[in-house]
Amino acid sequence: MPANKILIVDDEEIIVRLLAMSLKSDGYETVTAYNGEQGLAAFKSESPDIVVTDIKMPGMDGLELLKKIKEISLETEVIIVTGHGDIDSTIIALQFGASDFINKPVRDEALAIALERAKAKIHIREKLEEYTKNLEQKITEATEEIRRKSNFQRLLIRSSNDAIVAFDQDWKIVVYNPEAAGIFGEKAVDVKNKMTIQNLYTPKLVDIFKAQAKKRPEPDDMPWKEMVLQAKDGRQIPVRYTTTVLHEDGEFMGIVNFFQDLTEIKRLEKDLVHSERLAAVGQTISGLAHYVKNILIGLKGGSYVVDVGMKKNNTQKLKIGWETIKKNIGRVADLTQDLLTYSKEREPERQPCFPNEIVDDVIDLVTDFATTNGINISKETDPGIGEVIVDPQTIHRTLLNLVNNAMDACLEDEDTSKTFAILVKTTLGSDKTICLEVRDNGCGMDEQTLERLFNPMFSTKGGKGTGLGLLVTGKLVEEHKGKIDTNTRLGQGTTFIITLPYEKVGAVETKEDEL
Amino acid sequence: MSKKVLVVDDDPDVRSFVVTVLEENLYIPLVARDGVEGLEMIEKASPDLVILDVLMPRGSGIRLYRHLKTDPVFKNLPVIMFTGIALRSFLKSQKALDEFKGGKIPMPEIYLEKPVEPEELVRAIQKKIG
Repeated sequence: MPANKILIVDDEEIIVRLLAMSLKSDGYETVTAYNGEQGLAAFKSESPDIVVTDIKMPGMDGLELLKKIKEISLETEVIIVTGHGDIDSTIIALQFGASDFINKPVRDEALAIALERAKAKIHIREKLEEYTKNLEQKITEATEEIRRKSNFQRLLIRSSNDAIVAFDQDWKIVVYNPEAAGIFGEKAVDVKNKMTIQNLYTPKLVDIFKAQAKKRPEPDDMPWKEMVLQAKDGRQIPVRYTTTVLHEDGEFMGIVNFFQDLTEIKRLEKDLVHSERLAAVGQTISGLAHYVKNILIGLKGGSYVVDVGMKKNNTQKLKIGWETIKKNIGRVADLTQDLLTYSKEREPERQPCFPNEIVDDVIDLVTDFATTNGINISKETDPGIGEVIVDPQTIHRTLLNLVNNAMDACLEDEDTSKTFAILVKTTLGSDKTICLEVRDNGCGMDEQTLERLFNPMFSTKGGKGTGLGLLVTGKLVEEHKGKIDTNTRLGQGTTFIITLPYEKVGAVETKEDEL
Repeated sequence: MSKKVLVVDDDPDVRSFVVTVLEENLYIPLVARDGVEGLEMIEKASPDLVILDVLMPRGSGIRLYRHLKTDPVFKNLPVIMFTGIALRSFLKSQKALDEFKGGKIPMPEIYLEKPVEPEELVRAIQKKIG
């Protein structure tokens, strides 16, 4: 708004009129008054931008008017009209905040200059005011934005499902969210800005992170890794973690660690495996019923033969019947063991043993049956495998199962012109493993069979198989952290290879590194 | 003269049981361990009756039964199915074979599901061949 309204105050009416006329012709709007009181009243009602007032007036004089106006509005420009040599009044007027002085008689040019100056001052002040106001607004906005952002980040860190721990360049902990408190068991108030990395992490972990911080060129975010954290209260917590090293202008600023507590996930995984196995056992039951029925048939038949043998005093019959009964008792025992093995967790019982000797034991067990059925069983054992630490039960049971399967595969083969042969082979593998191989030249398997090989209840042997054999074998091998490979060709035969890790005898048992 | 009865079963326990039952009832027992051996024995020894298991390696009872019932020479040879699998499953597989191979074969006259009491087996045999 341009400063346009001027109040003229003088007790000499003629001067007021002349000035007003002159100013009006210059484009100003004028208000006039003939004494101090009138001037003040007009100021209040009209709010002029500039006041031009005479000093000497009867009643309220110009100085008094100036004072009153300044009390109301400091910013109003007041131009004082003085007589020659009236220095004292001029000084007082300056003290009261007059903007300018012009001498009597008032000349138009002098007044115009004074008015221009006043207008410029008003303009500058308005601009300044505007700037200040803008600036204040901007600061308010910026502050709000910063507050909002930092709040957002704080909430983000607080409510993160990951435990977040951040360190500054001196390895002091500066961020430690509630999840972190949950994992490490230390309260945030005791940690934040109080502890350093050594207080929270084990020395090993400290070394890892410090090494990461020093890496050049600056690494990208580390991939997630898993480890077990030792909490303060002794809890072992499985976690995934990653690290971000912070830099600003190439300067190390600190690091941020993210941890995810895997306890629940691990527990669920374990539950899942357990319940899957239970479900599998359930599915197996119908297959089992069949198998048990076969045992029952054997037992009934055997006892009938024994009855006849006793009645007729026929030792031969007695012997046959009794063999049948014993064999079926053995089947019940094996089945029970398979079921138990399959339905519960088992830790391999690793101990020093000679795997090649176990091969001999297994072959001894089946030789009779093999010979009766025209199957040749041979072995090729690696003399390099001496005494090693493995679970002998795992080797014995898996080998026996595979050899029994191999014999069934030979008996199943429709091509009777073959000379059936089974080879049991052991080899020392790389990376502290032994390989146990069972190879037969029996009927082999089609792809469908191969796919369902380790499914519960799956059996190609009708009621003569429990459908548990390979399942148990697979589980034993898995528990021993080993693996099973299968090669088969329909009509040509099948090879199973079990690879098991072993420990050297005499080696000091080392626990896995605890972090 | 005593009649010859062939038992075809891969399970030695079942064979010794059936053989004992046959001997006790004065029949002459013959044995075969699978379908292939069974057919050889039938051709060689001409039994009066066959007691036939269903699930066997190498030439199942399903196949042998089918073979016998479609062969003009053996069509009338009495067969007792003697098995661990249910009649329903047996008929289902025969039906599948009917559709696959064409032609229909008669239902087994006697179908015994294991376990079978010796007396029951004897009654079945007597019913067929006296």
